[in-house]
Formats: sequence, structure tokens, C-alpha cells
Amino acid sequence: MSYGEAFLLGITALAAIFSTIATYMAIMERDLLKAVIFSAIQSTIYAFIYYMLMAPDIDLVYIPVAVGLYPAVIIALIKKTTREEKP
Amino acid sequence: MKHWIGICVLILTILAISFVVAANINVLLPSTNVRTLAEIYLKYTYYPWDKYFTAMSPEACTSIVWDFRGLDTVFETMVFYLAIIGAIALARGVPLKPPKEIKGEPGLSLIVKTVTKIAPVLIIAVAGSIALHGHLTPGGGFQGGATAAVAPVLILVVFSQFYLLKRGVNKNSMLLLRSIGLTGIGITAFAAVLIGLATGHYAFVLQNQPKPLAPNISLPAFVGGQLISGSLWFFNFFEFLAVAAGFTIVFLLITLPEKLAETKEEKRAAEGGEK
Repeated sequence: MSYGEAFLLGITALAAIFSTIATYMAIMERDLLKAVIFSAIQSTIYAFIYYMLMAPDIDLVYIPVAVGLYPAVIIALIKKTTREEKP
Repeated sequence: MKHWIGICVLILTILAISFVVAANINVLLPSTNVRTLAEIYLKYTYYPWDKYFTAMSPEACTSIVWDFRGLDTVFETMVFYLAIIGAIALARGVPLKPPKEIKGEPGLSLIVKTVTKIAPVLIIAVAGSIALHGHLTPGGGFQGGATAAVAPVLILVVFSQFYLLKRGVNKNSMLLLRSIGLTGIGITAFAAVLIGLATGHYAFVLQNQPKPLAPNISLPAFVGGQLISGSLWFFNFFEFLAVAAGFTIVFLLITLPEKLAETKEEKRAAEGGEK
């Protein structure tokens, strides 16, 4: 493995750690709108990871669904219910 | 403070698991024999020298999805179809019509609207290229359809639902488009059989290129010198229509203002309750 390849894979690993943090924040956040944004951040990082792992086909379906459509569904749901999650 | 403890624990866990995996990499990695399957797929995805086993498409994913394991994809399409039908059945009897009088200017600010007038055109163009080039470059029908569905969602949010409804993007027109897509997938799946019946040869359902038991029937891999990979282009195109229209229906129903969805009895009951 060349140094360049190792560097890119290292960035991918770092992105994976950030995505886990974003998932954790999405679960712990009481404000559901912020939770959706954290979830979208996680999706964006995943899209990057898919690209780095050379899976462009799954990336092309992941970007519109996980970054566009899925937050839109959840935000529509939040608008029709409540924004705060009750303990 | 609470979050920091959780995040630290999370990162330590990730590092510990990574260390364990890296230390035992020889045991945990799958054997190299598994990859011969991938080699076969990569070899035969575009291999005109052995016409019985190739899908005639340089894109391995689309060849696998619509040729090598085409029946799985037909069932996946059916699952998606049932999900959309379920959503439509839940919203039965709901009139999806814009009200006669709309108070004020619906939607977001002028800046957002101006940008959104340009963006959906680009989104649809990109979606079309993803779907119609699905047999040549990464992409395909579902990918293109999901991308195209972002455009109506954007318009729904920025311009309001009534903007779409007034321009004919409603439940019925989208259902029609979706039915055209699904019928197209069905016809493409049976195309080889229909040709076989007409010419008196054996052929298979979901057949693309000639097969050892059906050597005389195949769908054209090239049309006018352009590679269309037999059935793959048609599957991608019709799946694109079905998926884009299906997602649009769901979003039209989800974003419907609940006051419009009330029936006359419910309105009367609500008024009676207020008194």
C-alpha cells in the first residue's frame, strides 16, 4: 500500500469516527429537528465513505435518499407532531 | 459534559475494536477464494466473445441487478410498489386539490424561490443522465428515480404543494406515470418470451442475451452503433419512471395540510366540540 493510499484510507477512518459521533448526537439530542440535522451529517459522511471505498452505485442512491428524501420525511413528521422529545 | 463522556467512550470503543481487528487480520479476513465469484462477474459483465454468459454492459452493478439476478430486482420493485400502494390506501378518500382561495403568498422567500427555479432543472437532468447511462457508468433506474424525486420535494417545500397540484403533478398523473413504468418493466421482462413465441423458439423470462438453451433469441445489445445492453436500458428507464413517480406520490400525501384532509363529518364534529 502506497503512502497516498494509506493517507486517504486514514481520512476515511477519521470520517467514520465522526459519523459515529454524529449518530450518537442524533440519538441523544432532545430537539428532534437538530437530531435530523445530525443524522443528515452522518449520512453525508457515509456518502463520502462509500465513495472512498469505491462503491459509486450505492453512493448514487444513498445521497438522494439519505441526505434529501429521508430528512424531508422526518421534518414533515416533526412539523405534524412535536419538536421536543419528552423524557 | 454528559455528551463528552459518551463520545470519549465511543471513540475508545472504536479504537479498541480496530486494534483487535488489526491484530487478528489474518483470521478475520475472508479467504481469497470468495473473490473468484467477483472475478467471474467482472469478466462476464462485458464479454462479447462468449455471448451465452455476458450481459453486454460494462457496468457490473447494473448487469448483476437487472441480468444476473434480475428476478430479485423484480421482487424488490414489487416491495416498493406495495409500500407506495399502502401509503395511497392510507390516504384514500382524501381530496388532493388546492383550495380555491389561498391566503397570502405561500412558500418561502423570493431568494429561495429564485434559486429553486433553477435547481430542479439541474436535478432532473442529472437524474436522467444517471438513469439512461446506468448501463455504461455507475447509476441505474432506482438511483436516477430517487434523484429525480428530490426535485418535486424541493418544489413542495419552497413553493408549497399547491404550486405542484395546479401544474398537474397530482396523485393521478403520478400514478399513471408509475403504472407506465411498471408495465414497461413487465413488458421488458417478457420481451424475449414474446419474441420467442412469435418466431417459434425457446426463450426465458427476463432473458437478455442468448442462453445455451435459448440460443436463437436475444435482445439487441447495440442500436444504431450505440450500446444499450439489450434489456438493461429499458429496465433502467422504466424503473426510473416508477421510482420517481412513486416517491412523488408519497411526498404529496405526506405534506398535505391536515385541514384539507378532513371530511365533512370530521369538520362538523370539530365545530360541535368547540361549541
